[in-house]
Amino acid sequence: MPRLDQLSPMARNTLLTFPARVNDGAPFVRPAKPLSACRVVIVTTAGLHRRDDRAFGPGEQTYRVIAADTPAAEIVQSHTSLGFDRTAIMRDLNVSFPIDRLRELAARGVVGGLGPNNYSFMGALRDVPRLETETGPEVGRRLRDEGVDVALITPT
Amino acid sequence: MVREHTEKVKPPRALFVPFPYGHALGRPNDPELQHRVLKAALDLLAAPAGPVLSDFPDGAEADVEPPAPTQASAVPVAASTPDDPAMETTQMRQYHEQWLATSCGRTAFGLSGIPATRFRGVIRFLQSFAAGEDADMPERPAELPLASFIRYCADDVKSLYYEGRMAMKPTSAGDEIARWFWGETASGQLLRRVKDRLDAADDPRWKAAAFGVAR
Repeated sequence: MPRLDQLSPMARNTLLTFPARVNDGAPFVRPAKPLSACRVVIVTTAGLHRRDDRAFGPGEQTYRVIAADTPAAEIVQSHTSLGFDRTAIMRDLNVSFPIDRLRELAARGVVGGLGPNNYSFMGALRDVPRLETETGPEVGRRLRDEGVDVALITPT
Repeated sequence: MVREHTEKVKPPRALFVPFPYGHALGRPNDPELQHRVLKAALDLLAAPAGPVLSDFPDGAEADVEPPAPTQASAVPVAASTPDDPAMETTQMRQYHEQWLATSCGRTAFGLSGIPATRFRGVIRFLQSFAAGEDADMPERPAELPLASFIRYCADDVKSLYYEGRMAMKPTSAGDEIARWFWGETASGQLLRRVKDRLDAADDPRWKAAAFGVAR
């Protein structure tokens, strides 16, 4: 993501005044096994979902499930903010959702394997109470139940 | 997420990547760079304590893409642009079909739920709306507010044009395509007018949709 000094004064000011939550409570857990034995998934905030799934509306704090074997042609993005260059993901899904790269890492044995499902949230969320108390923990539980060791979180 | 926000949110492990918005893994169709970004992120799992905020060493592709996209308001309109967006859309569809042929069917098009073959009707609808008429389409799902439907229609117009343009000129940078769309196409001018009507409304949902159609 751009450094602040690369942005226009107005964009810089918008970001500096954004009320990003100060969080001092994130747990830090070291992996219990080597990466080559870990099951990895993507959790993205790029507003991606299956073509036949319900599109995200602005500010929506729900999530969508994208099964690991979903073909790229079946994945669309309803986070269509003008704040980012959409041609990058039009050309290559991996620029936000690096599923092919993870498959390559799994094939090479760098990671142990992929989880059955990836998860997607909407981008550009300003208020996140439901995500914090309900949908976020729900995805956490699903990841645990699906035996996932590592979640790679990708933005737009 | 800019570095300053990550410093506040403090996830257990974070990699700051100095790329333009929309380029989280570096560059499209550059697996080598994408793998280096992934490796740098996965290497953070070896950190003994956290939170960890690390910087990816490579610079941004500043010579190719600006850090944030160029908006319509910063693009001058060409002295002469085509005046029939429906005709133009029909022409763009041919290029979009070329795009589909080379992308293995991957397309950002489809949020409105209306097939590209019927997009002349969508253009006529957007023209009526921009002209201040009481416009709607029978294809709009009852539960979807009009402003949201207009936003999806506008997104599909952009996808048709942007992907069609990439089929015409595969090496075009994203910024170049945005300048072409907003500066030289009839549909770019139509979406500016759609945005103006949405933005003039009192309803905050219309204003929010305006912000997504053009800025």
